[in-house]
Amino acid sequence: MTELAFDVRDVSYRYNQVAALGGLSMQVKRGERVALLGANGSGKSTLLRLLAGLCFPDRGEISFLGESLTEQRLQDEEFFFGFRRRVGLVFQNADVQLFNPSVFDELAFGPLQLRWPAQKIRERVGEVLRSMDIAHLQDRAPHRLSGGEKKRVALASVLVLDPEVLLLDEPSGALDPSSQARIVDFLVSCGNGSKTVIIATHDLDTLEDIADRCYVFANGRVAGEGTPLEVLHNVELLERAKLIRPHAHVHAHGEGAVQPHPHVHRHEGS
Amino acid sequence: MHIPDGYLSPSTCVSLAAAAAPFWYVALKRVKSALHARLIPLISLFAAFSFVIMMFNLPLPGGTTGHAVGMGVASIVLGPWASILAISIALTIQAVFFGDGGITAIGANCFNMAIVGSLVGYATYRMVAWRAGLGSARRVVAAGLAGYTAINVAALCAAIEFGIQPLLFRDASGAPLYAPYPLRIAIPAMMLGHLTLAGLAELVISSGMVAYLQRTDPGLLRLTAPDAPASDDRSLTPAARKTVAARQVPTARRLWLALAALLILTPLGILAVGSAWGEWSARDFSDPQVRREIAEASHNQAPPPAAPRGLERLSTVWTAPLSRYAPSFIRGASFGYLVSAMVGVGLIIALALLLNWVLARLPAGAGRRRRKSFVEKTARGLLEATGQVLFAEDMAATGGLLQRLDPRVKLIGIGALIAAAVAVHRLWVLAGILVLGVALALASHIPMRLLAARVWLAVLAFTGAIAVPAIFLTPGAAVWRLPLLDWPVTQQGLRSAGFLILRAETAATLSMLLILTTLWTRLLRAMRYFRAPVVVVAILGMTYRYMFLFLATARDMFESRESRMVGVLEPADRRRLAAASAGVLLGKTLQVSGEVHMAMQARGFRGEIRLLDELQMRPNDWLRLAAFVGAATFAVWLGR
Repeated sequence: MTELAFDVRDVSYRYNQVAALGGLSMQVKRGERVALLGANGSGKSTLLRLLAGLCFPDRGEISFLGESLTEQRLQDEEFFFGFRRRVGLVFQNADVQLFNPSVFDELAFGPLQLRWPAQKIRERVGEVLRSMDIAHLQDRAPHRLSGGEKKRVALASVLVLDPEVLLLDEPSGALDPSSQARIVDFLVSCGNGSKTVIIATHDLDTLEDIADRCYVFANGRVAGEGTPLEVLHNVELLERAKLIRPHAHVHAHGEGAVQPHPHVHRHEGS
Repeated sequence: MHIPDGYLSPSTCVSLAAAAAPFWYVALKRVKSALHARLIPLISLFAAFSFVIMMFNLPLPGGTTGHAVGMGVASIVLGPWASILAISIALTIQAVFFGDGGITAIGANCFNMAIVGSLVGYATYRMVAWRAGLGSARRVVAAGLAGYTAINVAALCAAIEFGIQPLLFRDASGAPLYAPYPLRIAIPAMMLGHLTLAGLAELVISSGMVAYLQRTDPGLLRLTAPDAPASDDRSLTPAARKTVAARQVPTARRLWLALAALLILTPLGILAVGSAWGEWSARDFSDPQVRREIAEASHNQAPPPAAPRGLERLSTVWTAPLSRYAPSFIRGASFGYLVSAMVGVGLIIALALLLNWVLARLPAGAGRRRRKSFVEKTARGLLEATGQVLFAEDMAATGGLLQRLDPRVKLIGIGALIAAAVAVHRLWVLAGILVLGVALALASHIPMRLLAARVWLAVLAFTGAIAVPAIFLTPGAAVWRLPLLDWPVTQQGLRSAGFLILRAETAATLSMLLILTTLWTRLLRAMRYFRAPVVVVAILGMTYRYMFLFLATARDMFESRESRMVGVLEPADRRRLAAASAGVLLGKTLQVSGEVHMAMQARGFRGEIRLLDELQMRPNDWLRLAAFVGAATFAVWLGR
């Protein structure tokens, strides 16, 4: 039996008196790549924060590798550091994630908090800088980085701890095609079962490359589940989750024969 | 309000920094405790916010604009201790990156604005708001008064610091070495500007921001309102929010009433400190006690036996209409002071209104530049600020002499030279330090044109305006008399003005060298070597980092507003717009700070920040440091 990385059971969470999640359940196996699909405000980001142990459910339970994830449990220093080492979260807004004065400091922050020895930190940071192709940026301040560079540095700042579980919130949102491709390449490379990856996204184009399984969110609940292909062909589900919009437009069939029809736009393959 | 280098003696600076130290210590202790871990990002972001707020041009009555410091808002949202840290950090960054406020005067500026300002603002807010509900209009009024009182008490502190300089520090000839004006001139001069313009700016920002928070996130006001009834906390229904919003109009009117009351009442509080205002010069010259003091201080050269006639005429302007018919109590010093203060404040406002009226009636385009709207001005100011820092960073990345130095050596070395410039008592030594600074600038490829425009002319315009009256007002041996007015130009006055201007120029030049040749990120890392508290280093770094984000956010806000603006806004709308922009920025500040805290936690932050301790100093660095400190010590010895 494959071990469960996360087991989310009937979780509810309110944010400023507004229900963000209402009775949500899902499972993620170890080594699996799962995409969370949903429109803006469907509760994806909230769920990622709950999974990362940054907030805690009002109702229901989340367990990580069979161990219940509660505020009390994270008070324990040993569990806290163990958990932080194994679970990394990349925030949607890179400006939030890059709070250090320089790229080097950014990468060194995590290892420093986890009390790694200084020599090991320098080596590991250098290694990740090279592998993410950002070594030339190491003395750069965050306000001197482009949007794509910021995302890469944010990802690197989490990868430096080599976490088993990677939580990504809209990793390729608002990026130019080349920066986007780099992130997708990285996610594809995680497909060998070495890492558990949970990605919140509403980008359907790259879904098949970056995920083994999808959960579709609507109104703080799971509206559907399946492989990327199953989900992409379930037009009714995608519409209900407001991921696609049927829109009437005209195609000219022959002369004068103008027929409006509801029509789903989707890009598959290349 | 931001005291530059050269206005205060080194001993004053050291005493004020020492007075500030226990407050910083307590504030840091409170922030360090694990319970307050979320305060670290909050303070950093608030400091960045306060920094950006200081750049807003706030429209004031009479068509002028002013700048606020933000200590009122900070103390209301963060509480007094965290506010002390946030404002101190913002002031430090202003001094170090923009040369706004002197480096040697950081302690004094922090004492006045961050510490006194935060504590007074907090106390005023708590007392006036008392137990009013979080959404009540009373809190808006309380916030406005808190900001107004805070900045005025802070200005009074600065005025007293200026005023004691000529009493304590004079050179052999009796010329004041630092700020030249005694208390009875310094206090009214400072207070006039703050009771009117600066006070209003602070009032607009504080009250506007609390009103904004009441509508958007009243829970944030809970920290400093433990006694407020719990009912309207957080759970304001949309309907209730609307009523709060609807109350904005009467609130504004109440604010103006409260302000009027304050304008009348505040001078009473100053009575304890100085003698009556408007009588300074003439009375001085006829008082035998003061005459003896002047004579002693000026090498037993007797001052002119009578007040210079021009000054006497000037001083009777105030009392003349009253004196003949008034009952005796009106001639008493207190009443006279009160009346003259009120008349003075009224006069300033009237003057501003008149000026505005005249300007509005001048034919547009008659060789006069179109007056920029405050939105445009602010947007441009924000852009310039960003540009300045980016330029400094580029400059620092080039390979000049100073750029190659270890940042620690530079910080301490140039700091020592600035301290020497503030400490010396001889003009020619001061000039020598300035020449050294220019030589260093040349060796570091810093364009002289930039120094001339951004430092020398700017300082001359500001400090020159302050120093010129000292030529006449400083008692001493007259070397020349102004024709017609017959005001004496004293030798001591000339020396005193020379000291002030030359000191300010030298210190500002050296600060600019530091700004233009130092990569901040490297300096921060290096600071750990001197055992600077980790929290301070972390907060400084984060403030600098988010300053850029907020500068950009604020700029976008103002630019998009500008692009949609048609016609001219009414003054009240302009103020509301400025306060609303600040409010949006505050909302963003709080949101980002919450998320940054989570991002820190997600990577293992538990309330105690750890930083990489950086490289040792090499023998060569020590040698260079010794050269700097040696030069500074030599200068102090020469100029003692």
